[in-house]
Formats: sequence, structure tokens, C-alpha cells
Amino acid sequence: MNVFFRELKAYRNSTVVWIFSLCSLVTVFLLMYPAFTRDVDTTRQIMENLPAAVRSALDISLQNFFTIYGFFVYLFTFATVAGAVQAMNLGVGIISKEESGKTVDFLLTKPISRFKVFTSKLSASVILLLITNVFFCTASYVVARMVSTGDFNNKIFLMILITFLFVQLFFLALGILMSVVINKIKSPIAASLPTVFTFFVIGMLGSIIGSENVRYISPFKFYDLNYVINNGQYEPVYIVIELVFVIVAVVTGYILYSRKDIRAVS
Amino acid sequence: MNIIETKKLTKYYGKSLGISDVDLVVKEGEIFGFIGPNGAGKSTTIRTLLGLVHPTSGSATIFGKDITKFGPEIKEEIGYLPSEVFYYDDMRVIDLLKYSGSFYKKNQSVILKKIKELAEYLDLDLKKKIDDLSYGNKKKVGIIQGLLHEPKLIILDEPTGGLDPLMQQRFFDLLREENKKGVTILFSSHILGEVQKLCDRVAIIKNGKIVKIENIKDLAKNTHKRFKLEFFGKVDYRQFTDLEGVSDLTTKDNNVSFLFKGDINKVTKIIAEFDLVNLLVEEPDLEEIFMHYYQTDKK
Repeated sequence: MNVFFRELKAYRNSTVVWIFSLCSLVTVFLLMYPAFTRDVDTTRQIMENLPAAVRSALDISLQNFFTIYGFFVYLFTFATVAGAVQAMNLGVGIISKEESGKTVDFLLTKPISRFKVFTSKLSASVILLLITNVFFCTASYVVARMVSTGDFNNKIFLMILITFLFVQLFFLALGILMSVVINKIKSPIAASLPTVFTFFVIGMLGSIIGSENVRYISPFKFYDLNYVINNGQYEPVYIVIELVFVIVAVVTGYILYSRKDIRAVS
Repeated sequence: MNIIETKKLTKYYGKSLGISDVDLVVKEGEIFGFIGPNGAGKSTTIRTLLGLVHPTSGSATIFGKDITKFGPEIKEEIGYLPSEVFYYDDMRVIDLLKYSGSFYKKNQSVILKKIKELAEYLDLDLKKKIDDLSYGNKKKVGIIQGLLHEPKLIILDEPTGGLDPLMQQRFFDLLREENKKGVTILFSSHILGEVQKLCDRVAIIKNGKIVKIENIKDLAKNTHKRFKLEFFGKVDYRQFTDLEGVSDLTTKDNNVSFLFKGDINKVTKIIAEFDLVNLLVEEPDLEEIFMHYYQTDKK
């Protein structure tokens, strides 16, 4: 458990910063909701004047935008991107920092199996993300309740919020896989930022051209939140895709990590 | 009992050779030297033993247990100090050492006591941040983290870099003390002087292959003598050059110096024919033998 606790401690500060930023983001944004809904017709007009492509790129559904969920989904898209960066950063960094910091010799000459190292780091990352989610979801829920004027469906809102964790888990797995496959990643952010944005842009372009197939490859589009709002459920096929990907990535990551040669520092 | 035993241990990094067919036996309680120039395969051998790299073929056991199957179990009793030490910069020395100790099953308070003992002996401030330490002080942290769990086998990969002569002396004393308690030591170095000072037996490695394993004393004694002669006036050195067993012959003014291996009487007979100012016959130091060994091997 020592590696697990060591990682929790090592990432404590950065996680606090992420939590603070994400919570501030939703709070500030949600506090604007009353202003948007005060004059629904004007805002609707502005929205209608936006090209349809832009609306779909931003996941704005005119039908839902003025409900608290619809409004939340709009800002949630951006929060998810930030969350994805956090998760992928964590995934890439938590393994590769031992190599880039050259502490891997120290760690792996201790009486601990690579399986245990890998598992400790993976579980520490998951716990850190869960903590982030607890804070993020609580803040979102509390503020949304505060500003919401009409009906408030807890189940739907919770279902939306949980996709934050789903997306994060996807990018955590991807980051871990990447850190094991690529040798010597000097800076995790340099690896995670472009990857996350590439996926985001792919998803956005997919929405613009209205291609359903794109949804299979962009985790940002796995969970169509307007679908969730209207139907009260997720689309199972994407849950399966995510699950399969995460399992394959983690298992592959583990196998590669245990076979990896740790070359001498030069 | 053999502490380390390797059988045809071979490691390729992709296509480039690390080590090939390394057969080593390190017995319990000995200080075993491992010498060779940089890139000869010392580190690769050690890293394979420690499970950092995986052997391409061959096998090895430590404490009689296979290194690939019982890695963590074996490492419970190994202390390792690499040539360059890197630790978590954000930690304080004491935190790092406690973290290091937390990997071992031993009683943590016993470990803490040992940490304090060693820190005092090596004159290291435990409260400092790792990041603020000088290279030499980081090395001390390395020594302590390698010894804090009182391992039965200490593996040192060119450990003395960065230590001043005084600290080096203390470090060697520390190793000798551990050795007296029955601890086995594998000491890799390219500096022959330190190997000579410390080790009982030595393996010479070159281009990934073990070229010789010998007792340090035998290596020095049974092989060569260094002759240094000073003559009256000019002399024809050809008699020395022609003599079988002479190598590394240098001349300067009326001086001649060479290494000789073989029947001493042959040399003394020739020397007797000359008028001498001075004569010295010495044990060559390991370095000379080593260089000689490498050169003759090249031919």
C-alpha cells in the first residue's frame, strides 16, 4: 500500500487545483443560468441565428437548452474536456514520471512486483479521479439546484454527471497505455493535451457533418446527453465500447509494463 | 552456498548485444569484484540480476531462487546502489528513507534505527530536501537506502563516484564491516584500485563476455612482475625484447621497464651481464595487468 499512498500524496496538490478549477467553472457558469432564462425568447432567437453546424458542434439542443439540464450540458461539454485532460495527464504521468525522473531504478529494485506497482498506481489514479468527481458532482448538483426554477429530475442530472467519470476513465486508461508504449515521455501534458483535443475535434467535426460513425471513436460523443435527457437512459453500445477499451488498455498496459526493460540512465 | 549463480545469461537489446553467455558464481560471504571498461556489460548483468531487464536466454539464481520467478522475494534481501542516484525531489531525506524502508517486511522501527545510525556515520542531514542535496550527499542517501534493511547481498554498480576520499574510505569500512557479518558483496567498477582494495575474487568482462575470473591475489602474483632497471651507460635492450614473456617494454635514457611473465631466472641471468645503477622488481598493480590483459587479448 505504500506506493498507493505515496501517489495519493504526490498528486494531492494538483488534484486540489483541478477540483477547485472544475468547481469554479461550473459554479460561475451555472450562476449565469438565470440570466439566460430570464428572457427566453431573445436568447432563443440568438441561438436560432447561430448556424446549425455550430449548434450541433457545441451540443446545443434548442429543445433542451432552456431547461437546466440542457444549459448544464452545454457547459458540461467543456468541463469534460478539462476532466479528460486531468485524467489523461494522471494516466501518462503516474507511470512515466518514474522513468523521466529516473527514480524507476529505485522503485523496481525494491521487493515489490511490477504488478503491484502498476496496480497501486492505477488504483491511486482511480481514487484521485473519484475524489475529483465527488467534489465536481456535488458542486454541480448544489448550484444547479439553487438556480433551477422548474422541475428538477435528480436521476437525469445524476446520469449526466456520471458521464464525467466515464470520460475520465477512458482517458486514464488511454494515458496509462500511452505511458507504457512510448518510452521516456518527458512531459505528460505535452502528450495528453494534443490527444484530448484531437478526440474532441474529431467528435465536434462528427457532429457537424452529422456522422454517426464518428461517435464510435470519440469518447466525448459516447454519451449523447440530449439523448439521456430525452430518454432517461444511456445508449448501451457505447458503454460496451468504453468498457472493452478500458479493459483492453489496462490489461495491455499491465502486460507491457511487466515485460518492459528498464534501461540504465545515460 | 552460492549466493549468485548465472548460467549462460544472455541479453540482447533488440539486435545489439548486452551480455552473452555470462557464467558467474558468487559464493556466500565473499566480496566479488566485477571489472571492465564502460559499456562492457557490467550494468546489464547487474540489471538483469535485479529484474530491471529481462534475460534473452540463460538463467540466474540468487539465494538459490530463480530471478525471473522470485524477483520480489529475492529483493527483500538485496541492497542495491547504482552509480547515479535519483530520488523524488519533493521528498525530504528522512521521508525517502522511510518510504524505502516501507517496502521491506522488516520491523520498521529497527529500520529507522539503522537509518539514524548510518546517517550519523556518514554525516548526512536527514531533514534536508532531496532537491537541495549535493551529488555526494545524494550518494549517501543511496548508500543508506541500500543498507537500511540489513541485506544479505549488496550489489554495487560503480558506487564511488561523487564521494570524496574520506567518505569513500568510510563507505569501504562500512562494506567491510557488513562483509564481516557474513554479507556477500558484488562490486562492479572500472576503477581497478578500488576493486583491488576491497575484493576477494574478480571477474573481468569485455564486450559482454566474461574473459577471466580469478582471485585478486592470483591475478597479481601468478602472472606478472614489473622490472625497472637503470644501467651505467647505453645498453642494447634487444636481449630483453627478444625474451619470451616480456611485454609493455619502455625505455628512457638508461632506464628500461617491462612486465615479465615466466621463469624469473631467465631475466636475472640476462640482468647479471649488465652494470646496474638500480634495480626494482615489483608486483604490478591491477591496472597494469588489466591493461596488459586487454591489449594482449586484442592481438
